[in-house]
Amino acid sequence: MTAPVLIAFPKGRLGDALVPRLAGTPLALDAAALKSRVLRIPTATPGVLALLLKGSDLPRYVAAGVASLGIVGSDTLDELDMDLLELADLGFGACRLCLCAPAEVALEDLKARPHLRLATKFPRATEAWLAREGLTAELVPLSSSVELAPLLGLADAIVDLVQTGATLKAHGLAVTAVLGRSSARLIAARGAALSEPGRIRPLADILLKALG
Amino acid sequence: MPVRTPHFPDLLFDAAVRLRRWEGALMALLDAHGYRELHPSLVLREPVPEGVLRFFDGDDLVALRWDFTVALAGLLARRFPEPPDRVAYAGAVFRRPVQPWEAVERFEVGCERIQPAEEPSAEADVELARLLMAVPQALGLKHAILHLGHAALVRRPLEAEQLPPDLAKAVVAALSRRAAHRVREALADHPAARRLTAHAEALLADLDGPDTLKALDASPYADLLAEERAHMDRALRALLPILPDRLDLRVDLADVAGLDFYTGPTLRLWAPGAQQELAAGGRYDHLFPELARPWQAAGFCVRLSRLLDLAGTRPDLFEQP
Repeated sequence: MTAPVLIAFPKGRLGDALVPRLAGTPLALDAAALKSRVLRIPTATPGVLALLLKGSDLPRYVAAGVASLGIVGSDTLDELDMDLLELADLGFGACRLCLCAPAEVALEDLKARPHLRLATKFPRATEAWLAREGLTAELVPLSSSVELAPLLGLADAIVDLVQTGATLKAHGLAVTAVLGRSSARLIAARGAALSEPGRIRPLADILLKALG
Repeated sequence: MPVRTPHFPDLLFDAAVRLRRWEGALMALLDAHGYRELHPSLVLREPVPEGVLRFFDGDDLVALRWDFTVALAGLLARRFPEPPDRVAYAGAVFRRPVQPWEAVERFEVGCERIQPAEEPSAEADVELARLLMAVPQALGLKHAILHLGHAALVRRPLEAEQLPPDLAKAVVAALSRRAAHRVREALADHPAARRLTAHAEALLADLDGPDTLKALDASPYADLLAEERAHMDRALRALLPILPDRLDLRVDLADVAGLDFYTGPTLRLWAPGAQQELAAGGRYDHLFPELARPWQAAGFCVRLSRLLDLAGTRPDLFEQP
């Protein structure tokens, strides 16, 4: 018996955006299962299951070949740099990776500080930007509620994803520099895509048509 | 000391038997085609790169053999005034894992075809491809896929455009992900951005069979790569008529794995559903000249540790012995 094909979908912001787009397609997610606490969701195609995963975990499942396909933000891909294929830029879920500081602090003020502390979930992208700018900084690795760090003195500024800017504004922060842009990407396990293209490519095409 | 399996896997009864059987079958296959075994020492006393297992033997820094091709090249350059034309090897190499599931001790069987630099090499490339085509049967794999590539398809346009090393690396990384949009992002406003992006899109065109080579028509570097294309076309014409039932042959124009090492045709063997290639090789004509020997070489390596993993997780892919 052939093992089911697993497709990894992200929970949260990106997942909220893609589930409605899949409705009515062969990869529509089972509505009843979605409402439950189950994390392996049947799709409208027998033998194809969806996994709902945290974005930062998702590329590991695909790189290891557990899931054959996945959708994840390019920011997460760039942070983890795993061995997988990136079949398309789906365009949706667009946001910017930004350096954000208290609204009254300018970029030049930050650059002039002898000991700059940056809180972030994106150390790799932050280090790359610091290197491009010829700056050094102490990175404060955080995994959530990064906006609190400058308010409570844990860091001078943060590097985080900004979509509308509403969360920043609510915490008295403003964008000081744009480090990069992120959007949803269709990814594939190298082994599955190269050794079973006849099985994987049609599913990738359905995702591209629905989400691209 | 903590035991860190699976990085240091022990082979229990069935796996140990399988390893010996596969080693024997593959070495018999290579021997039947005139490849004679060389066995470079497991302990190397020479400059070693990052990622190998190193330790002190008294005051000497030594390393465990991390790559047969490099170890054999050193042995051949030291010991042979003229190269033996066909050599084979079997044993373990030791490397620090890059991915968490990779083992440190890896079992391999492989072969190398070595010639003086001035000899034509096309027949040797086809000989190696034919030999690799016989490997699935020797291993009892029910079905396999052989990918043919050519390192020069990416290397030569990058050299022609004189891309800075960091930018060339970013383009190769994007191609490794099969992501033409990443090539465009990486090149941004570089003068060659449009040409190299069009080339990446041609290499990644979703074609199949002998028509795959026609994708190169859309590349701005089609003329530059005419010789490589003709070489691949000749190889396909030689190999397709003798393709075994259990094997598919595909052209993979965007194969960039090992691009800093390979200089010509590349070979990769997959099984349906396998997460990693089971054998890989190609032409690497820069290696011996770097050791002051005017020789050219090509070869392939069968990764028995990956096959052992696959036999454990997907026994349905193998014939029962």
